[in-house]
Amino acid sequence: MFKKLQLKKHALTGISFMLPLVVASGLLIAIGNIFGGNPSTISDYKAGYSIWEAAVTLGVYGMQLLPGVMGAAIAYSIADRPGIAPGLLMGMIAQNMGAGFLGGMLGGYLSGYFVEFLKKHLKVPKWAQGLMPMMIIPLISSVVIGLIMFFVVGMPIAWASEALKNFLMSMQSGSKAVFGAVMGAMAAFDFGGPVNKVASLFADGLLMDGVYGPEAVKICASMIPPFGVALSWLIRRKRYTKSETDNIKVAFPMGICMITEGVIPIAAVDPIRVILSCSVGAAVGGSLIMLLNVGSMVPSGGMFIVPAMINPWGFMLALAAGTIVTAALLVILKKDAKEEDVVVLDEEEDVDLSDIKIG
Amino acid sequence: MKIVGIAACTSGIAHTYIAKEKLVAAAKELGHEVNIETQGTIGTEDELTAQQIKDADVVIIAADIKVGGKERFRGKRVVEVPTHIAIKSPKALINKIESELNK
Repeated sequence: MFKKLQLKKHALTGISFMLPLVVASGLLIAIGNIFGGNPSTISDYKAGYSIWEAAVTLGVYGMQLLPGVMGAAIAYSIADRPGIAPGLLMGMIAQNMGAGFLGGMLGGYLSGYFVEFLKKHLKVPKWAQGLMPMMIIPLISSVVIGLIMFFVVGMPIAWASEALKNFLMSMQSGSKAVFGAVMGAMAAFDFGGPVNKVASLFADGLLMDGVYGPEAVKICASMIPPFGVALSWLIRRKRYTKSETDNIKVAFPMGICMITEGVIPIAAVDPIRVILSCSVGAAVGGSLIMLLNVGSMVPSGGMFIVPAMINPWGFMLALAAGTIVTAALLVILKKDAKEEDVVVLDEEEDVDLSDIKIG
Repeated sequence: MKIVGIAACTSGIAHTYIAKEKLVAAAKELGHEVNIETQGTIGTEDELTAQQIKDADVVIIAADIKVGGKERFRGKRVVEVPTHIAIKSPKALINKIESELNK
């Protein structure tokens, strides 16, 4: 049942539509703040405004659009084009009720499945068929799901979001460090796999609700594995085979762009040691990020967006510390490579293919 | 076999293209003809032609997100997998599909 709903696929589609918008908006706010000295947003267009105020204002508009885009994209993923209109509207409700990202997601799911249900089960006479996508579906779904959002699910989610936000904002140093460590370790644990996605979704969600620390943890933790592996290679080249060395030379520049996946070929040969080293390094980095109050309004972009962060030097410090820990652990734990290990790289991982069906 | 397919991942900048590369390399090595379209954040690249789709024995969709243009494959045998399967074991995937088709 749950598998059939494909909740994850729809959420990922939502994220994929949202990412470019959040990057553009986050950078606009950051650039405006850096060059304009934290200008306010434009409140009166007739009164005149500076270019930096315009940048920040545009970024804020973008951020406010996020729950709408998230809702629309999820509903689109479920119900195709007819999902977009109600999805957008439900996101707007979420945004204005303070239900943010979670509300937008839920609104997207509800409108998507409801539209899909209407498409399948609502029968109209032939002459009215043109009205289905144009009027009947958008109106009925917006009214029904809109009522549910306004009067049933909206407020509880708004309270929950507020509570989560308050909890994260009011954390003391001890719990901050633990939270950062867990987030960091999760983000680095499987190099872009499902565990990383959970951490990533959580950070993206909080970003929309105005909590910027976890996003910085995610960025840091995505870069520590490639940097750590590269540093350990510089310290002890004997630990790696020739083909691993080639992989590291690719993984490092990918790491600068915040793509962790370059480390996968290294981890595939020696998973336990490499994953352990990377997760511990990322946990250290994540703790420091939270303790130093580093934040990022931009969810991806790697080294290029560091200047736009809140407390960029803190970020660099956390990144350096995590990288050094990872590299040190790799040097200590890994054994010297034997050249015949090369063969292993060509082998495929065992993946359960029994579920695969040809439709 | 003649294979066509689509690759698409969440961020649309890395896995999409890795999955494509892996599928193409594996298919060629196993002696199949292959064309893979990518639907990344930049948009659709290497779009499949109507002829390629018409000639294909099977369609492999390696995607973590909703892909566009599935209606082009009406009446075709379609396999849908997440990108990580195409990345981790493309050959096993293709072999499995081939044996299923020959059943």
